[in-house]
Order: sequence, then structure tokens, then C-alpha cells
Amino acid sequence: MTAVDVSAVVPGPGRTVARTPRQEAWRRFKKDRLGLFFLAVVGVYVVIALWAACVGWGGSYEIAGQVRPAYEASMQQLGFELDGKPYPQTQTGPSTAGGSYTWLGTDKLGRSILYRGLQSTKVAFTVGTFGALLSVVIGMTLGLLAGLLGGWVDRVVVFLYSSLASIPYLLLMLAIAFVIRKGPFATRYDEWAPWGWDVSEAISLGLLNLVVVIGLTSWVTLCRLVRAEVFKVRELDYVNAARSLGFGTWRIAFRHVLPNVFHLVIINFSLTFVIAIKSEVILTFLGVGVDKEPSWGQTIAGANNELMVGFWWPLIVAGSLLFGLTLAVNYVGDALRDALDPKLKT
Amino acid sequence: MIQFVLRRILYAIPVLLVVALVTLFLFDIAAGDPAAIKLGKNPSPEAVAALHEKMGFNDPFLVKYGKFLWSTLTVDFGDSWSDDTPVRTVFKRGIIPTLSLTLPAFLLGTFVAVILALLVAFYRGSLLDKAMTVVAIAAISISSLVYILVFQAVLADAWKLFPVWGYEYGIGAINFIALPVLIWILLSIGTDMRYYRTVALEEISRDYVRTARSKGVSEHRVLFSHVLRNCLIPIVTRMAIIVPFLITGSFLLEIFFGIPGLGTVLYTAINNSDLPIIKAFTMLGTVLYVTFDIVADISYAALDPRVRLS
Repeated sequence: MTAVDVSAVVPGPGRTVARTPRQEAWRRFKKDRLGLFFLAVVGVYVVIALWAACVGWGGSYEIAGQVRPAYEASMQQLGFELDGKPYPQTQTGPSTAGGSYTWLGTDKLGRSILYRGLQSTKVAFTVGTFGALLSVVIGMTLGLLAGLLGGWVDRVVVFLYSSLASIPYLLLMLAIAFVIRKGPFATRYDEWAPWGWDVSEAISLGLLNLVVVIGLTSWVTLCRLVRAEVFKVRELDYVNAARSLGFGTWRIAFRHVLPNVFHLVIINFSLTFVIAIKSEVILTFLGVGVDKEPSWGQTIAGANNELMVGFWWPLIVAGSLLFGLTLAVNYVGDALRDALDPKLKT
Repeated sequence: MIQFVLRRILYAIPVLLVVALVTLFLFDIAAGDPAAIKLGKNPSPEAVAALHEKMGFNDPFLVKYGKFLWSTLTVDFGDSWSDDTPVRTVFKRGIIPTLSLTLPAFLLGTFVAVILALLVAFYRGSLLDKAMTVVAIAAISISSLVYILVFQAVLADAWKLFPVWGYEYGIGAINFIALPVLIWILLSIGTDMRYYRTVALEEISRDYVRTARSKGVSEHRVLFSHVLRNCLIPIVTRMAIIVPFLITGSFLLEIFFGIPGLGTVLYTAINNSDLPIIKAFTMLGTVLYVTFDIVADISYAALDPRVRLS
């Protein structure tokens, strides 16, 4: 860390108004060129995810006209059939066949790697954003309440998270996933259609399951941090002032204390986002993740069988796309931490 | 000291009680009828009833809970559903292969991470430091499944540097664990290095370091005899917290490389809905976690005379 920058608090010539903390953080963030670059990368992924959300799943399910000849031959030898026909499909496939559709080749079933890879971004963002959002909301609320109210509320929250944290992470995730997917909830969810709107069509059970699992298992870190920070903040004069003005606990929590611990929330959101999309791969591999929509986890988990017959590119494409997003979010999260919480910078 | 340990142990008891409750509750809802797993597709109603009676399937929840607590206390989780071996035997079989993978991987990984962390802390702010930070972030951004699949396909399958699959007890294990150990280190080194770097930097900014420097002690010596010694406290504490994960093992590495350890046991149990094993695993993991959490606190106090336990 270099010399302390005082220009924000000491008005210099030509600058009479001090910057707000947010402007100050953005100014620090901008200095990190690599951070800006990766922020742009995240932006590109967001655009791709929005595109995927607009076009639906079309294309990624369809079979391209050009299935690899070597694979055709081997499948024919083994006597496999596809849709009741012997393997080499004579159909010409969708209109894009041979064009951009096969730019990065096709997988074992003849589906476009490029389309599937890009469309998986939607699942990644759904799981990442909503999983992290749920986790952050739980962690933040419980942390705020425990820190502000103290007493028995605090003891209950601490007990809750120390119990949760001591269960092996993977097993807890699996247990919740089992309950959601195989319990009575699953059948009811499939039939649930309020006002004729089929919910399970919009967000499949597999996706919902991942969001809930991530949300319920990963809020502990943030809760701990927020609680500790609130303990520090609540003794400050302005909180006492707010209290003496007769403001209620909720108002003090969300209007006065929360803005002072919000940097923790933002940083933790990016961390949980990454955990969520990496967990998607593992849980899908274990058979309790995404099963309907194309996702990187599905491609990577499926690559285990594909590698044996020489199909290495689906793994590389899905792995690289996943890598790009996690790297970008990880780096931006890191840069955000440095920008928002200069005390932490080492 | 003794009072502190006792209080921590007493505090751990309600945690374990709640975890047992949650485990039993979650898996009992999830599992459905054990008869469907044990007796195949079309069992006779008598056989189902007999099995339910034997397993206590129709017991009230509280009775089940009591039995489960007792089995945790006596470390006797009954028989596996899939092949009727006692759970305890299954665990005993798995522990050696698991530790033969995780222990060397962990020790080697920590060693490399600490050395690298001291190195980048020494050259803090330089290009090397920044480059290493980016490399570390990149390394932790790759999915563990991708690491395993790519390394197995390239290093073992294509280049034949390592065996692809299998395990051997005794000294021959080295052959089979080499590649999994390498992958484990790559998977953990990014996080570890960054953690130890922060620890080292915190120490470097302390007064005694400045004093040592002003006395003319070489930077090299400052780093390795002053800073490293003080860093040992957080290093050891962190190591103690990781021990439970060494025992439960890495199920991905084990199943992909055919190591018959506890990770494989867990994976098979999940695939077969083998509840006694899954439940035992959860409780074992929790007990280990709670125990080593206490051990970490004690070692912290034992190593650092400034820390008082209260």
C-alpha cells in the first residue's frame, strides 16, 4: 500500500466538495486496469445470458446434420439407434447446420457445442445470481438482527450457524437436494400453476433446487462478518443518536447500520456467485443438479464418457466458458474488496 | 485452560444434538421406504412388514432419534443397506486409502503454499506478486472436475506418465496417488497461498520486524527466522481446521482414480441411497469438525502466550 490518499477528505484547489464513499470506491476501482477488463468480461457474459434467455433452449437440443463420421461408424457398429433410426442420421438438421451451428463441433449426440456452451450461461447466471441473492439476504438479515438485538436472538443465530457450519458442506447440500427433488414437494411443484402459469416450465425443479441449496448452505460466512461488524458499528454515536430520536430497530438496522456494512454484502455476493456456479458442476455430476436445461455442469459431467471415445472439445469449450466467468467474477470481487474496504488491502 | 476446554465441549453437545436431529429429519424424508431399496421391485407385503419391524421404520420419530443418538455415541451405525457389511467395517476399510492420498497431498500442498506465500510477501507489490495473485485466482477459477478430467486424459491416458485407475496397499500406493496428489495441490494452492500471504504481510508490518531490520538483520533472515516463526500460529490453526476434511477425503479424486477410500464409500452410498452410511458419514464429519475446532483453539493458545482462553 502506498501513501494515504488525502485528496478525498482534504479539499484541494479546485475541489471544495469531498467525494462520497461510493465515488471514492469507484475511483479506487478504476485504477485497477485488469479489474476494469474483467468487469467488461462479466458484462459480455451478462449479454450472452440475456440472449440465451430470449431465444429459449432452441438449437441446443437439436441434432446437427453433421455427426462426426468416426463416431457414426462406431455407433453403427454397436448397433445404437437414435429416434428409432440407425445412427448416421441422414436428416440435414436445423437450418443453421454446417454454418455457425457446427463452428465448435458437435457433441456425442450431434448437438452444437457452441450453442449449448453459450446457452449454459443462462443456467450459470440463474444459479449464481439467485443462489447468491438468497444466501446474502439470509446472512445479512440474521447478522444484522443478531448484532443489533444481542441477547437471546444473538445466541440463537450463533447457535444456528455454528451447527450448520459443522455439518459437512457437501452432505448438507445433498441432503437438502434430496428433500427438494424426491420429497413430496417435487410432485406438487410440477403441478403448481397459479393463474394458468406453469412455474416448473419457467424455472425447472433442478434449477430451483440448486438455488435453494446454495442459498441455505452458504450464508454463514456473511452472517458472521455482518454480526461482528454490527457489534462495532452499533456503539458509534450516530446509531445512539438515531436510537435516542426514537427510531425503531428495523429502521436503524436497514437505514443506518446496513449502509455501513454493505461492502461486506457486495463482496460476499461475488464470492457466493462463484461458489454457486462451481457447485452446479459438482451437484449435476452427482445427479442432483440441472437435468433439463443445457448447463456447463451437464457438459462437463457428461465429458467423462465422451473422453473415452475421443470427444475432448465439449469439455474444453464448457470448461473454458466456465473458467472465463469464474475468473472474471473472482477478480472483480477481489478488486471490489480492495476498493470498498481499503483497510483490508494488504 | 481445562475450564475452557470443558466449556467448549459442553457447548459442542447441543450442536451435535441439533445436527443429529437435522440429519435424521432430512434423510428420513428424502429416503422414502428402505424396503424399496433393500427388497427390490416387487416385495411381498410380509417381507416389507418384517423389514420395517426389524429396522424400526414405523417407530415414532423420537424413538428413532434416541436410537440414532445412541448409535452415534457408540459409533455403531448398524449395517450398510446395499451389502449388509457393518458400517464400521466399511469405514475401517476406507480410512487407509483416503489418508494415503490426503495426508501427503495436504502436507506437501501446505509446504509449497507457505514457501510461495513468503516469496510473494517478500517481493510484495512487485510484478511477481501481482502475477502470482492473478495466477492464484485463475487456478481457483477452474472447476475441480475439469482439472481431474483433463489431467487424467492428458497425463495418464495419453502420455502414460501415471496409471489411470487403481490402487495398491503398501508402498506401491505412491504410483497411484501421485497424480491425485498433484491435482489436490493445484486445487488448494491458490486459496492457501493467498491466505498465507495475507498472514505473512500482517506479520511483516509489525514493529519487531522493523526493529530487526534496523539492527541490520538481513531481509532473508527477517523473513525466515522472525516472520515465519510468528506465522506458524495461524498456519497451525488453519491446518487443524482442515484435518476433518482429510479424513472424509475427496470423493471426486477417489472415484475418478479408483482409490477405495472413504470418498468412494460416500459416493457409492449416495448412488445406492445407502442411508446408514450417509448418516454415519454426516455425524462422523460433524464430530470431527467440532473436535478439531476445539483443537485449533487450544493449539492457538498453546503456541501463542499472548492469547488467553476465556
